[in-house]
Amino acid sequence: MLEYLKEYFDYRALLICLGLVVVGLLSVYSATYDVGAAAAFDKQLVWAGIGLVALVVAAIFPLKALQRISLPLYIVMLGVLLVILVIGHTVAGSKSWIGVARGFGGQPSEFAKVTTVLALAAFLARTAISLSNPKHLILAIGIVALPMGLVLAEPDLGTSVVFFLMLLPVLYWAGASNFVLAAILAPLIAAAGALFGTLVFLVSLVISGALLYAARQNRFAAAVAFALTLAIGLSVQAVYERLPAYQQKRISTYMNPASDQKGAGYNVYQSKVAIGSGGFFGKGYLQGTQTQLNFIPEQWTDFIFCVLGEEFGFVGASIVIGLFTGLLLHGVNVAGVSKNKFASVASIGITGIFGVHVLINVGMSMGLLPVIGIPLPFLSYGGSALVANMAMVGLLMNFYSNRKEH
Amino acid sequence: MIHDESFGSPERRRTLTVVVLLMFVLLMLRLYQLQLLFHVELDKKSEENSVRALTKDPVRGYMYDRYGRLLVDVGPSYSVTLVPAEFEKQSTGLLSSILQMEPKVLEDRIARARTYSPFLPARMKRDVDMKTLAAIEEHLPVLTGVSYQVESKRIYPTLARASHLLGYRREISDAQLSTASDYYRPGDLVGVAGLEAHYESSLRGQRGFEYVSVNSKGQIIGSFEDGRRDKIAKEGFDLLLSIDGGLQAFAESLMTNYSGALVAMDPSDGGILAFVSKPDYDPSIMSGVTPADLWAELQSNSEKPLFNRASLTRYPPGSAFKMVLAAAALQEGIIDENYRINCSGGFRFGNRTFTDLHVHGSVNVVEAIQRSCNVFFYQLMLKVGFDKWNEYGRRFGFGQATNTDTGEETTGLLPSAEYYDSRYGKGKWTQGFLISLAIGQGEVGVSPLQMARYAAALANGGIVYRPHAVEFIRNKETNKVDPVRHDSTLVGLSPHVMGLIREGMQRVVQAPGGTGGMARIHGVISAGKTGTAQNPHGKDHAWYIGFAPFDNPKIAVAVLLENSGFGGAKAAPIAGLVTERYLYGQLIRNVPKAAPAKKGAPKTITQVVQ
Repeated sequence: MLEYLKEYFDYRALLICLGLVVVGLLSVYSATYDVGAAAAFDKQLVWAGIGLVALVVAAIFPLKALQRISLPLYIVMLGVLLVILVIGHTVAGSKSWIGVARGFGGQPSEFAKVTTVLALAAFLARTAISLSNPKHLILAIGIVALPMGLVLAEPDLGTSVVFFLMLLPVLYWAGASNFVLAAILAPLIAAAGALFGTLVFLVSLVISGALLYAARQNRFAAAVAFALTLAIGLSVQAVYERLPAYQQKRISTYMNPASDQKGAGYNVYQSKVAIGSGGFFGKGYLQGTQTQLNFIPEQWTDFIFCVLGEEFGFVGASIVIGLFTGLLLHGVNVAGVSKNKFASVASIGITGIFGVHVLINVGMSMGLLPVIGIPLPFLSYGGSALVANMAMVGLLMNFYSNRKEH
Repeated sequence: MIHDESFGSPERRRTLTVVVLLMFVLLMLRLYQLQLLFHVELDKKSEENSVRALTKDPVRGYMYDRYGRLLVDVGPSYSVTLVPAEFEKQSTGLLSSILQMEPKVLEDRIARARTYSPFLPARMKRDVDMKTLAAIEEHLPVLTGVSYQVESKRIYPTLARASHLLGYRREISDAQLSTASDYYRPGDLVGVAGLEAHYESSLRGQRGFEYVSVNSKGQIIGSFEDGRRDKIAKEGFDLLLSIDGGLQAFAESLMTNYSGALVAMDPSDGGILAFVSKPDYDPSIMSGVTPADLWAELQSNSEKPLFNRASLTRYPPGSAFKMVLAAAALQEGIIDENYRINCSGGFRFGNRTFTDLHVHGSVNVVEAIQRSCNVFFYQLMLKVGFDKWNEYGRRFGFGQATNTDTGEETTGLLPSAEYYDSRYGKGKWTQGFLISLAIGQGEVGVSPLQMARYAAALANGGIVYRPHAVEFIRNKETNKVDPVRHDSTLVGLSPHVMGLIREGMQRVVQAPGGTGGMARIHGVISAGKTGTAQNPHGKDHAWYIGFAPFDNPKIAVAVLLENSGFGGAKAAPIAGLVTERYLYGQLIRNVPKAAPAKKGAPKTITQVVQ
């Protein structure tokens, strides 16, 4: 019996997920302790329950059927994204919320990540699809670019970044050549460099060029890719000018956070102070002054890691980072052992989504990365994300138990 | 089937694993850096974030005179405060009219307070009167967030003003804030003149703090750690002065109608008994916050009431300086008491004639001092020479700071050969320049405080004390009275030389034909010397220095009266009265009405004709 469980039941993913959900509930409770903790905590608890159901459904869903409904699901989701672009109401400067029920909100873009990964995996798993075929490659990119564009138009920069970055490990895993990856990465580097002024832009162009040159298969393709990189870099500068002020402010603050501790850099500064003041053992649960006195805006959503860092200290925060790392390694492992190509690619996609969220969210909380508003999986307050993330863990568990099927 | 060979290859699996591990390492390193390496610094920041200190001002130290009478007291002062968040903006006009502040100024203060914390009371105006408080009380329903708090201000319970000695406090300036110790904060009052400034660190005490927790909006949500970290304000230390409060008030009354200064000193230790600079001001107008118009008036007043004439004026000492030259000549063995010259009422040097107002006939050094014979000192200067004269002037403390504790002072000017070289060029000045210096005229400049010390040194046999007004500081923590150390130097005159000079000074007052007879006191032998400082801009300034009793001096006095003519006429009587009041504890003669300074008084002076 135990052997059978070990063989087919992915208890690792489940335990890590449940551990993170519990820590998340504790953190949300603390973060909202004096601003309606009971209400926020209760809501999140309900969402966790729904998430558990989603997890179970995803874990036991027949693999073949899942593969078959991936594309229809994807198209439905695109439609939803399109609808909220038109009628959705604005929350925190973005239109991504739609009312699902009174007191609850749904964020379709969270689910769009899952459906996009599944659709991409289903596409790449098809016979006769090869990433060395440029047509196929463009189609694959297009599958991600469509929802990404809709999310970006909301505008939700953070989530669209996740879409883009998730694509890289998936293509890599699916066998894209180094040149393809370089050709995708190069514009990204140039685009990022474009935000930091001319000098950095030039350096980023040199790096992009070197990358393309090293991975080149023929000179013509490399030259085209570089021209594209240049064009994208230049247009990013132009787009930056037109970004909403709050996005611009976040980017410029990242470049020099110390300049504006009371203004745009406030979050990062307070967040670093919260985490740093936690020390080795933390200030104790519900004892964090930064948290309890509400020094960090949105500490229950994007900045939940501060609560952790301040109240549970180095010990607590490193356990959480360790759990996430365990989950990511497990995801790579599941992808590696899956005989089913769809399951294998989807595993990497799910792992990529988790990885990008963790890196960006924890990185920005500790002042390493720009403040891009994306939640920390399982911990941040927010129902849709929790349900979607738990569903993805369920998918991993599904893939694990079916790993030996073709 | 996916055709690409590298699909899910072990190599790519390894790469992705490494990427995940690298990410783990990166995040853990940063976590380690923030939580372990930067912990102390960030923890401090977090505490500053959430904890506010409400200050509790300490009671400033008191000042007592030499007989233990309270000279400087502390009383309540009411400051109007305002909590920015609770204040209704439309009441700004009403509040500004009640406080008599420009609406703009008030708005600025509110804005500045808001940046510190909108929920903590901030001081809008210090030291308001009862009428203002009543108006605030009356309008309290509309003036939400406005309140007042009791603070302390100076009270001067005696008749003595001693404005320039005691000094005053003002709100600390931005410049001071950047250089002063960390103790001070914007809005603090800090001593900027007189004893209030010099003993600021003793007087001020230690501010107390009550720590409260605030939320991110600055609202107080309770005491921090149940007040365990609160600090109680520590009282400032008391100053026990050498000043005689009664004498001070009396000396001030004598000087009322003059512009000038009077410094009385205990010759046995340099303790200042009275320190008067006239015109002065009522120190109580500076005790809280001086209204801007009053301050501007004090500063622009043509009589310069803020100017400390006792230690900042620099006038030629006139004949009162002759003892310096006499000391140099006698101590260096250049002359003795038998050396005589014949005073014919004039002295030719080169193509210039320096005159004396009187023909003194044959005089020795004692008689020359007694009768203030210029011709004797003209000739003596040529014998003694510039350098020796300068050296003895220095020994008596001229041309240098006294290091008094009473506040700002001038070093004065004691010319030397180097000084003339740099001023006029080497070889461009002649011995003729010295002739003026011989009788204390020309470029020599001294302050009344220096002159009082000089008189004290002549009284005590040659000890030059550091003048001071504070003898002891009462430490409120240990409750001990600690003496303040004051150093001294020696002039280095033999008792014989000292005796001759003192004899001359005694005759100035006591003997017929002395120039300072008006300083005489019944029953006490006094000594002194008159002086008249030539004033190219108007009437000459009158000097008198003296001490008494002659055999056992208890008091030395220096009096300077600006534009008052001959020193013996106006300055000597004032010195006499002050001395009498001090030695007897009261006046034993009929109190004279303080005579108003008459204009156009006769010029009876030793004059230098050029």
